[in-house]
Amino acid sequence: MDEKTRDEASKDNFRQEPKVGVYVCHCGGNISDIIDVKAVAAALAKYPGVAVAREYAFMCSSNGQDLIAEDIKNLGVNRTVVAACSPSLHELTFRGVLQRAGVNPYLHEHINIREQASWVHKFDKAGATAKAIKLAQAGVEKVLRKDALNAIRVAAEQRVAVIGGGVAGMRAALSAAGKGLEAVIIEKAPRLGGKLLDLGRMYPSGEEGPAVAKKLEDLVLAEKKITVHTGADIDFVSGFVGNFKVNFKKPDGSSVQVKAGAIVMATGYEHYKPAQGEFGYGEDVNVVTLPEFRALMKNSPAGRLELAGKEIKSLALIHCVGSRQVEGVHKPQADGKINDYCSRVCCSAALYAANELKEKYPGVRVYDVYRDIRTYGMQHEDYYDKASRDGVLFFRHNDTDQPEITSDRTGHTVKVKDVLTWGEELEVKADLIVLVTGMMPADISLIKSQLKLPSSADRFLQEVHLKLRPVELANSGIFVAGTAQYPMDVTEAMASAGTAAAKAAILLAEPDIPLEPFVAVVDEAKCTGCGLCPAECSYDGALMMGEHNGKKVAIVNPALCKGCGACVAVCPTRAINVAGWTLDQFDAMVEAIAKE
Amino acid sequence: MRDLEKIEVDTLVVGSGIAGLQSALDLADQGFSVAIVEKAPSIGGKMISLSKVFPTLDCASCITTPRMASVSHHPRITTLTYSTVDAIRRDGKTFTASVTRKPRYIDEGECISCKRCEEVCPVFVPDEYEQGLGAKKTISIPFTNAIPQYPVMHPEHCIRCGACARACPKDCIEFLQEPAPVEIKAKAVILATGYETTPMTAKKQYGLGKLPNVISPMAAERLLAPHGPYGRVLRPSDGMTPGSIAYVQCAGSRDKSIGIPYCSRVCCMYAIKQAILLSGSLPIADITIYYMDIRAFGKGYEQFYNNARAMGINFVKAKVARITEDEGHNPILRIERQEGTSGPEEVKHELVVLSQGLIPGHDASAFGLGTENNDFGFLKLSDEMVSSAVTAGAGVFAAGVVKGPRDIPDSVVDAGSAPWKPPAI
Repeated sequence: MDEKTRDEASKDNFRQEPKVGVYVCHCGGNISDIIDVKAVAAALAKYPGVAVAREYAFMCSSNGQDLIAEDIKNLGVNRTVVAACSPSLHELTFRGVLQRAGVNPYLHEHINIREQASWVHKFDKAGATAKAIKLAQAGVEKVLRKDALNAIRVAAEQRVAVIGGGVAGMRAALSAAGKGLEAVIIEKAPRLGGKLLDLGRMYPSGEEGPAVAKKLEDLVLAEKKITVHTGADIDFVSGFVGNFKVNFKKPDGSSVQVKAGAIVMATGYEHYKPAQGEFGYGEDVNVVTLPEFRALMKNSPAGRLELAGKEIKSLALIHCVGSRQVEGVHKPQADGKINDYCSRVCCSAALYAANELKEKYPGVRVYDVYRDIRTYGMQHEDYYDKASRDGVLFFRHNDTDQPEITSDRTGHTVKVKDVLTWGEELEVKADLIVLVTGMMPADISLIKSQLKLPSSADRFLQEVHLKLRPVELANSGIFVAGTAQYPMDVTEAMASAGTAAAKAAILLAEPDIPLEPFVAVVDEAKCTGCGLCPAECSYDGALMMGEHNGKKVAIVNPALCKGCGACVAVCPTRAINVAGWTLDQFDAMVEAIAKE
Repeated sequence: MRDLEKIEVDTLVVGSGIAGLQSALDLADQGFSVAIVEKAPSIGGKMISLSKVFPTLDCASCITTPRMASVSHHPRITTLTYSTVDAIRRDGKTFTASVTRKPRYIDEGECISCKRCEEVCPVFVPDEYEQGLGAKKTISIPFTNAIPQYPVMHPEHCIRCGACARACPKDCIEFLQEPAPVEIKAKAVILATGYETTPMTAKKQYGLGKLPNVISPMAAERLLAPHGPYGRVLRPSDGMTPGSIAYVQCAGSRDKSIGIPYCSRVCCMYAIKQAILLSGSLPIADITIYYMDIRAFGKGYEQFYNNARAMGINFVKAKVARITEDEGHNPILRIERQEGTSGPEEVKHELVVLSQGLIPGHDASAFGLGTENNDFGFLKLSDEMVSSAVTAGAGVFAAGVVKGPRDIPDSVVDAGSAPWKPPAI
């Protein structure tokens, strides 16, 4: 059915008397093991306005969806209630079924009887069933009062703004350009390449960091669809999906504004900086971080590893510094949180560096103090294996038994309670202590606060769903690429950035973008023009007082309104409602639930 | 052979696990036409048979079925299931794939998925979807949420009684159905052929698959699935509810003696996940994970591991040397703990899960597309520092575990990057 006939059909449908179809999902036992789904369907079948009520093993499966489509076709069902999982999981799935069957997709209500009934009332089957019935009945009351809605369409800039010009940013721009989009890279440093510019030899390819950066940079500079701004100091980011504006200052002081339909956040990471005195860091020159050690290795003369002119004959690698921190054992960071996550790349990076060291300076003794060796990648186990064969000595400690480092004139002593020798307290002497530091997200607090971007407990940007929507942020039109999301290596950043670009291309595939129609709607007849609501609105320009038909009223800009409902709460005359979530619908739902 | 069917699309996707599905959807959503070829009777790959997935503990069906449905409803995606790719030929900038639709012994155009054939069939066979823990009819729909919902008949078990043919209201049973050839022309190929787990027989010290209560992790997934074979956790030998369950980590990874030196990346996390689910369904059971290193390296994984420890799951650093059993089929593990001072000891459990690793599901180089494999048979990328999808074969891209072990979140991210601009014609 083409769009026009479908629209006509759904209008016709809407004019008909409401016939509600109710569908109760077993969720393959997740619901039906607790809730008597047959009883729920039977109770709903008798409810006023309901034409048919069914139950099925997986409503979201193709068969389940077909059940609904068949009822629409054969029984004239024109509104649906699906009682299943959380709407965040499958509301869109079922709206799609209505759409395909020629019914306005917003004449659907998704009722959650899994998270809100079967899972939380595991030990009260009868109570859970009764609750599911009430919730489904409230759903029927709501759907009976729903209006057919249409998506709001906004024109979109056919351009992607990529914030950050490291490997992830460059890959995202290249992939976007490959899909026919214009891409603009906005990088704060004077040149492209990000952290790679400071890294030495990198796993898995063995290339030097700057060489890898150069390969991508050459591709970027050769691509006509990509514009690069380096030395850019972002001062203001605003807008919404399809119409973002990124404002920044160039090194010469001039201001530039980039308009973009989508933003890719490729803002990267910072190395964890040990606290003053953490394992002696900052107090003793012979305690360095892994990146500092790699620079030291690069700058040492052939045959002699040295720090400040003094030869280093032995060193100890201390893993998990700033990662996998334990409450009560580690001091919190400045924001009061500990870094309880694993930084993913440090085990492989440390052993890769140890191998490089052993190659260049085979005489240096290396001790490796770790909790778990996490060399998970395809070739990474070889690094571990090679290090063991080349004489690196490993000591394993528990999370609550941190190694201790003491210094005197003869050097450093590492004291570790070693699990590999049945909990023996061992001491080794080392000239140099290398702290294998993890990753923390780069400081992007300005952009985060201006665009209201979500972060997870580990402070990295938070995706919508790790498996369903792994590179999308909750803010429509904003995607995340690379280590801005979580620690990862170059190869993983490539995948994440390529996907972020693909999602941006899908979003911008058409010149206008559909937005959810759940925005505030003003009933001008009821509005007294009191002006209380604009004061409550947190989205600039979404709700303002104005004049219409010679009357002072509140006026909504649907492209900017997020449908939060703050205005609804303060209106003294019930003149504002959020479409699809009206006060009348809620009243009816509450009544249905409270009814004896 | 039936008449040659011809299909022309922008991209051919080989494999319909989570990586193949996601690649196809991402590509089709960008406006390209896609054909998926899947060897199994249903799309969905390994993921559709899992119970719940780490670290979010979403039920796997809840995440996979809608993607499967989106693929089957997508106007730009054609899906061929129960079909094999026999060869792919490159002609200049296009590819021609020779595909065979295997006979299901029913008329797919007529079948209405009413299951009458399945109901009347008198022959039961082990159900591979349930990892052999349950039975199904010799003509049956592969599983509840399979797509498509066509039954498949297994002629090697059929006794030719004709009951299905008599019961079928559409008269669509075809005992003499032959394979059907299909030719697919495409401008790009995405290989998403996934993995198999290392076989139960890989390590001879672990019982060679002959100990009934030493099971595979896929079998454990089915036992834990809410719609699994028994609806609860029972052990295979006698149907007893196990009170003591052990996981043997690296049983098929990080082990040069079986030719698999690499880490399979997922086993630590699936073992922890299954242990958490087990303590939910068997609250009084003792659960022990014998491990070398716990590799909880992904987003939210370390916290997941810490939760498992807080729930009382025992983590014992020890490599399991040998598994035998007593007269009651209770598995006996010979271990040496690295913590504590005791020597080698033997520990009895009532059920043991071997945390098998991942090996290539298909030799991608066999297609003759100029792609190369690494030492372990996984597909090699042309420069993984620059792109996560481009292979040595022009116009040939890779998605998911075909390139090496990775978990579901990594595969989903990875698959999105595979759709590339097909070369211009």
